[in-house]
Amino acid sequence: MTHASDTHQPLATPQRRFALTDGQVAVIRHLILMSFALVVLFPFFWIVSAAFKTQIDLLMGRILFEPNLDGFTKVIFDKTSDFLRNFGNSMVIGAISTFLVLVIATLAAFSLYRLQWPGWVLHSLLGWSVIFHMVPPITLAGAWYSMFRSVGLDNTYSGIILAHTTLHLPMALWMMGVFVRDVPKELVEAAQIDGAKVPHILWHVVLPIVRPGLAATGILTFIFSWNEFPVVLVLSQRQTATVPLGIGKYAQENTIAFTEMAAASTLSILPAFLLLLFAQRFIVRGLTSGAVK
Amino acid sequence: MAHVRLNNLSKSYGKVDVIKDVSLDIKDGEFVVLIGPSGCGKSTLLRMIAGLESITSGTLQIGGAPMNDVPPRDRGISMVFQSYALYPHMNSADNMSFSLKLAGEDEPQRRSKVDRAADILGLGPYLDRLPKQLSGGQRQRVAMGRAIVRKPEVFLFDEPLSNLDAKLRVKMRAELKELHQKLKTTTIYVTHDQVEAMTLADRIVVLRDGEIEQIGTPLELYDNPANAFVGAFLGSPTMNLLDLEVSAENPSEARFSDGEALRLAAPAAPGRATVGIRPECFALQSEAGSGALRAEVVVVEPTGASTELVVRKAGQNITVLSHERLAINPGDSVWLVPNAERVHAFPDGAAA
Repeated sequence: MTHASDTHQPLATPQRRFALTDGQVAVIRHLILMSFALVVLFPFFWIVSAAFKTQIDLLMGRILFEPNLDGFTKVIFDKTSDFLRNFGNSMVIGAISTFLVLVIATLAAFSLYRLQWPGWVLHSLLGWSVIFHMVPPITLAGAWYSMFRSVGLDNTYSGIILAHTTLHLPMALWMMGVFVRDVPKELVEAAQIDGAKVPHILWHVVLPIVRPGLAATGILTFIFSWNEFPVVLVLSQRQTATVPLGIGKYAQENTIAFTEMAAASTLSILPAFLLLLFAQRFIVRGLTSGAVK
Repeated sequence: MAHVRLNNLSKSYGKVDVIKDVSLDIKDGEFVVLIGPSGCGKSTLLRMIAGLESITSGTLQIGGAPMNDVPPRDRGISMVFQSYALYPHMNSADNMSFSLKLAGEDEPQRRSKVDRAADILGLGPYLDRLPKQLSGGQRQRVAMGRAIVRKPEVFLFDEPLSNLDAKLRVKMRAELKELHQKLKTTTIYVTHDQVEAMTLADRIVVLRDGEIEQIGTPLELYDNPANAFVGAFLGSPTMNLLDLEVSAENPSEARFSDGEALRLAAPAAPGRATVGIRPECFALQSEAGSGALRAEVVVVEPTGASTELVVRKAGQNITVLSHERLAINPGDSVWLVPNAERVHAFPDGAAA
């Protein structure tokens, strides 16, 4: 912006009556961005700070307080707390369902976009996946509960993993579709001529190129599974409950354990946060540069 | 090495026929160029030979064996793509040895084959670089290297030089020719650049709208084009196509509207005719003489080695190429003496 003003030619642009200087524009822009940041970060900040307060500080609405770790200690070490178990459950369910989603979505995207299906197959499958994605999960939960119960899958990891895989597959399919379509057709053809069969093409050519897409889709899928509430609420009991259910448990009929709830929420942010930090290096654009042209 | 035989090959997408009944015999070791304007089906034909497009009807044989339903990997071909299509996550050496790896060859064997190809192409110092770290010409060479290491029966090139700048294109063209002289592998090469076709080909196949217009050596096609389209497509500056009248009394002459006549190489059917003559097939004189046609100079373009003139004769522009330094100005009159052996009358309606 400042560069543009250096080369600004008064004759070329007619003077507007209420024209703002570049400086003013920058101030306004930053005010808007800051207010967005505030909207996003304040609840986060509020929860994290609540986790370090005592119940009394919190209920009194004290802004200045002496931090303590009681909330965390209770959540992690208290004998009546299931949180670590919830945490473990969420990890297992999130990791396995994400893995399954990535495998199925990548194979499906490659097949749909690169193996020359007739148009109606492609469009009806993609259309169906959108419709499925738009259905609120809670409407499926009841039906799944009775189905899973009759085959003995209720309150099992397998049942919840299956449900999460199904729920998040459409989104992953669409995302992987975009990344697979970005792989130039000529690369697939070159590999065909080089003697590669479909599994080779997928493994040696397509997968290495869509790695950033796998990372991005994987992170999103994992976070969705980590946060998913209504379906696990219906399908799980104490043994298989996940983190969101665990957090919900702190709101009892008579009391709400606000600080424990806040501490558990704060802890629940960690995996997604670490995952993002770790996977960021995979999410780089331009991996195909040099491939064609 | 192998010969390639196309018997009545056709390709349609629904009701649209892209390749119509193409038959072609390519000899072992021959360098054949498919040329034509964009949309003529030349790339489609090449991709049909490669196995990347299905064949609607007709048969394709490579080395005598029918190939219609054989997957690309078993056709004994390698292809160089216009976009190079290098695997972006593999370095040059891995790009070149990918096919060998798939074929189950062991590391030392692959290494030696890649090294040999790298030697031929001057790629030695670049073997451990990724495609994005290479220049356009180097990528082009890696793509060629990838084709060479497989020792194919047939090389297929799909406009391999069109992404390079003009200077590099000329250099790579010469390298390609040298490569073919060294390897003597049957080659089918698609281009829309007539200079590439003329310089590289043993035989040129001119395609239009999915059909073969003419097949022949570069000079056969240049000197004796079968029709105005082929005549105009090959050669630069382009062939003059004149709209003249052939009389029934004297079918070996074509008349301008001002009454002056041009002798034809062969008698033509009476009536209106498209007459083609190349710009270099005229001698120039500054005064009238027998068989000389009077014309008015419109534009003079000296290029150093030669001079290109545009002259007007009976309302039609004629381009004349002279290798002499001419003291001539727009508005002057000149007399053209055409080389009658190089004046072709084409059946009308075939003009490009």
